[in-house]
Amino acid sequence: MLTKLAIHSLLDRKGSVMVALMAMTVSIFVLLGVEHIRHQTKENFSNTVSGVDLIVGARTGSLNLLLYSVFRIGNPTNNIHWQTYKDIASNEQVKWAIPISLGDSHKGYRVLGTTQDYFHHFSYGKKNRLAFGVGQAFDQVFDVVLGAEVAKKLGYKLGDKVVLAHGIAATSFSMHDDRPFTVVGILAPTGTPVDQTLHVSLQGIEAIHFDWQQGVKIANSGLSQSDFEKANLQPESITAFMLGLKSRIATFHMQRTINNYAPEPVAAILPGVALSELWSMMAVLENTLLLVSALVFIAACLGVSAMLLASIRERRREIQLLRIIGAPPYFLFLLIELEALLITLFSCVLSAGLLTACLATLKDYLISHYGLHIEINLLTQNSFFLFAAVISASVIVAVIPSISGYRKARSA
Amino acid sequence: MAIELADIRFHYSKRPDHKVLNIPLWSLATSDLAFVHGPSGGGKSTLLGLLSGMLTPVDGQLTVLGERLDIMNSRQRDQFRAENIGYVFQQFNLIPYLNAIDNLLLAMRFSSRKNTLTLNNKIKDLFSALNIAEQAWYSPARDLSVGQQQRVAIARALINKPKLLIADEPTSSLDKANRDAFMELLMPMVKDNQMTLLFVSHDFTLSRYFDRVESLDDFNQLQEAK
Repeated sequence: MLTKLAIHSLLDRKGSVMVALMAMTVSIFVLLGVEHIRHQTKENFSNTVSGVDLIVGARTGSLNLLLYSVFRIGNPTNNIHWQTYKDIASNEQVKWAIPISLGDSHKGYRVLGTTQDYFHHFSYGKKNRLAFGVGQAFDQVFDVVLGAEVAKKLGYKLGDKVVLAHGIAATSFSMHDDRPFTVVGILAPTGTPVDQTLHVSLQGIEAIHFDWQQGVKIANSGLSQSDFEKANLQPESITAFMLGLKSRIATFHMQRTINNYAPEPVAAILPGVALSELWSMMAVLENTLLLVSALVFIAACLGVSAMLLASIRERRREIQLLRIIGAPPYFLFLLIELEALLITLFSCVLSAGLLTACLATLKDYLISHYGLHIEINLLTQNSFFLFAAVISASVIVAVIPSISGYRKARSA
Repeated sequence: MAIELADIRFHYSKRPDHKVLNIPLWSLATSDLAFVHGPSGGGKSTLLGLLSGMLTPVDGQLTVLGERLDIMNSRQRDQFRAENIGYVFQQFNLIPYLNAIDNLLLAMRFSSRKNTLTLNNKIKDLFSALNIAEQAWYSPARDLSVGQQQRVAIARALINKPKLLIADEPTSSLDKANRDAFMELLMPMVKDNQMTLLFVSHDFTLSRYFDRVESLDDFNQLQEAK
């Protein structure tokens, strides 16, 4: 009966309750959104690379190297020589090495030049190896292996021809249209930037730039397929490479060795260390966002309380009636608290629905523009803690109008 | 005795020099039907507030249905009121956004005489006895006519089978026809259930329904208190 009374009483004051409800919904939406995206981003980044002991690239900030080599965010500062790769990869501590070459794209998706070792050694998440959905690794110069997202979004299947573009802009005026690639494999989805990548051999990268000069295509070069097979397509430089070591204990020693590599300035980073560097940089921003959304939420709680407080005055006779039929003053306290609780609960449901709808709508945009895989499912342990905190906070703030209701009831 | 007052004195705490009640001795026998009249502002509502346990006397002994209200704590008085006293106001007897049935259910919530099995039947019998049309049972109380509202108010006051029914100007917002209909319904119900009725009004024409008629000024001796 208490619940029924609270619900009907709220419905009776639709106007002010709706406004309070909207304020509450928006604030919980912001809080939940910030918290959810924060966690998803972190999880996403942490899951992107595993089992790689060192990443080596041209000397630059470790974050920059990590971001462009693994997350395809930003641009490489400089290339490193093929000889450098060969020297370091032949070190006795090195178990495997994956060279990567970036710089071309296809309809906004980046192209990664690498070797077949990539499919054998690169792993993500909890040491999951890359798996082929269909087809197999590239074998020929003009073979391409697509990430799951690329194939799905652009509707490619095995045997399709793909033309790569020079540079990484979504719209490029400089197409490698004279040398199309054939899709030979499509990877299973990983939920990492691999899904948004086209993989070709290093030779493929060399071939499309074969007779280019100073980064500009020479028209009508008229080279045929057989010309490439005869030509020496060994790359002169690559963007970066990943290393797996025989023993993890050797990681720091190896890192020092690479950083002291004399012929060329190169840098080796530990992906885990670089990631935690990234988090500590983000922490300030994250905490600020969280603080602001928490404050917005508290403001909404106070708004609800103000609305309830104002209602007590207009409900003087209702309170008097409840008292005369035997309602003790604490009944009024509970009634006002319950009304606040109902508003909060309904706002929680509304904002969760709203956020789910927004994430579902923005999912593709976030993937294609930021490479962010945001899980839509909000029912994580984390969100439950957040909801619990939201509900407790609103109940605590609602003590103000509830006490006013209690006092009104005592003097009625 | 249903009500026994002895040396009752009352003033509101905000205005201690303004004496509202001073009743040396007054009582009402069980099953009595009493009509108390007096001018507005004469302390009628205050007396009813004391009898229902909403207010406590500054001094004196206040016994209602054999229980000493003046020495009970507020929790006990709330419970006592829910169990034993039916109350009808001049207006605003019902929660306006609840329907008639829910208003009665709400009134029963605070009483310990709950019997959910026969509950709805009990309410419906009561409504039928009070001439409340069935379509009025389920509409919000504010949509009912004033006459209907006051009849539902009687039902609400009687649903817990109180021993004492207090009516505070219950007919003042009704026109003559509705007022007479109200009285014709109320009086037999009170008699059938052997309740004690304390009816307060300034409308002296209603006194014909009662066997005991008193003026508050006769037993509220403010002059002597000064």
